[in-house]
Amino acid sequence: MKKKWPFIVVGVLLLFGMIGSFLVQRHPDTNLVEIVQDGQVLHRLDLTQTENQTIEVEYDGRVNTVEIKNHQIHMLEAECPDKTCVNMGWLNSAAPIVCLPNHLVIQFTDIPENIDAAVQ
Amino acid sequence: MKLLKNIFLVLNLITALSLAGCTVQQISEKNKTERSLFAMNTYMTFTSYGENSEIALQEAADFVKKVEALWSVTDKNSEIYRANHNYGQPVTISKETEDLVSYALEMAERTNGVLEPTLYPVLTAWGFTTGSKQVPKKEEIAVLLQNVDYRRIELAGKELTVPNEMQLDMGAVAKGYTADLITQLLREHGVDSAILSLGGNIQAIGSRPDGTDWRIGIRAPWEDGNLGVLEISDAAVVTSGGYENYFEDENGNIYWHILDPVTGRPANSGLESVTVIGSEGRLCDALSTALFIMGAEEAGNYWRENGGFDMLLVTNENEIILTEGIADRFTLGDGREETVQVLES
Repeated sequence: MKKKWPFIVVGVLLLFGMIGSFLVQRHPDTNLVEIVQDGQVLHRLDLTQTENQTIEVEYDGRVNTVEIKNHQIHMLEAECPDKTCVNMGWLNSAAPIVCLPNHLVIQFTDIPENIDAAVQ
Repeated sequence: MKLLKNIFLVLNLITALSLAGCTVQQISEKNKTERSLFAMNTYMTFTSYGENSEIALQEAADFVKKVEALWSVTDKNSEIYRANHNYGQPVTISKETEDLVSYALEMAERTNGVLEPTLYPVLTAWGFTTGSKQVPKKEEIAVLLQNVDYRRIELAGKELTVPNEMQLDMGAVAKGYTADLITQLLREHGVDSAILSLGGNIQAIGSRPDGTDWRIGIRAPWEDGNLGVLEISDAAVVTSGGYENYFEDENGNIYWHILDPVTGRPANSGLESVTVIGSEGRLCDALSTALFIMGAEEAGNYWRENGGFDMLLVTNENEIILTEGIADRFTLGDGREETVQVLES
């Protein structure tokens, strides 16, 4: 072969293609969460962008207090007999925080890539 | 030159294949259907892939509501409630209820009464059913235990008789049983890839759309995070643990909702959680409760004698005991300190 440059050009293009195809597939775990009541999305937030705050949600006169702190979300307080939702701690993996009596759910909108479901 | 050509060819293939993965994911996301509902005193989410998913999940949701109305222990119109409040007189029930009660009694028999479907009055005394949790007096528990005995329930065809003062409760098997029936329904619609969560009872139909196993996070007892990941296809996964529903008294003592039918008090056999894996949700549901009460040694014996399922036990000494069937399918979370022991048959 007398001319080598076509191969070099193709080689470089290929290299870019390969790097590109791997980059395209790496998407980070999302931090979008939803606060849903009776099927209605009340709030949708990106935890990475949200400042520390509390959000109060009412159902039938009973109040749930949702807290976002240090880019994590959990049920701080709940006016319900069980407090199961409060005991669930910070939202993680694919298991939503649920307050049954008040029909309130806190969940990731997109389940993190590495888990499909959480057994509880 | 030939070597270089071959290298380029291989690299091309790798690139093409890695990009092909992208498209498959997009296609499967298009056919993904999700449905959530509150039922059976819990929150359920169904995810199905494939053409008929929309209609299949609609029927599944309708079915759950239908059987909930038959089996709920608190709904005054349910067949179970009516049987519980008929002063020891028989009640005519539907085929669905007959099948469920029959299964519950069968599992009670197979676990020698460790699974006790008539423990409800004791559960009520602890306040787990009313929301006002309290520690009942010993005498109260003793009296209530006199009316706990699954063998006194009569099921003759479609006639169910619950003796006076006794109460039947399908809570320990209903979700798993329902999951099996929904699975059947989905399969009849041609769905071969779906993942269902019935209040944390997981049922997987087939594998993920890309053919890989479903990745199920197992919650670390008493913590927020996961213990590790279980990879399965075509299986049910059910966990029982004290941390799911408990209360603390003024002295800091913890009482949970899984009661030992012999003592009427929270089962304290040294286990923090039991996860049962098998092909049927009903079996996994029934056994997760029973094995928790039994403790590690007895659970191990039960497994060796009966088989037909796999299990993952977490002891109160931070040990994980796994049966050999799932040893390869469980990955302990990064940085976790539990020891892992594999049980062989």
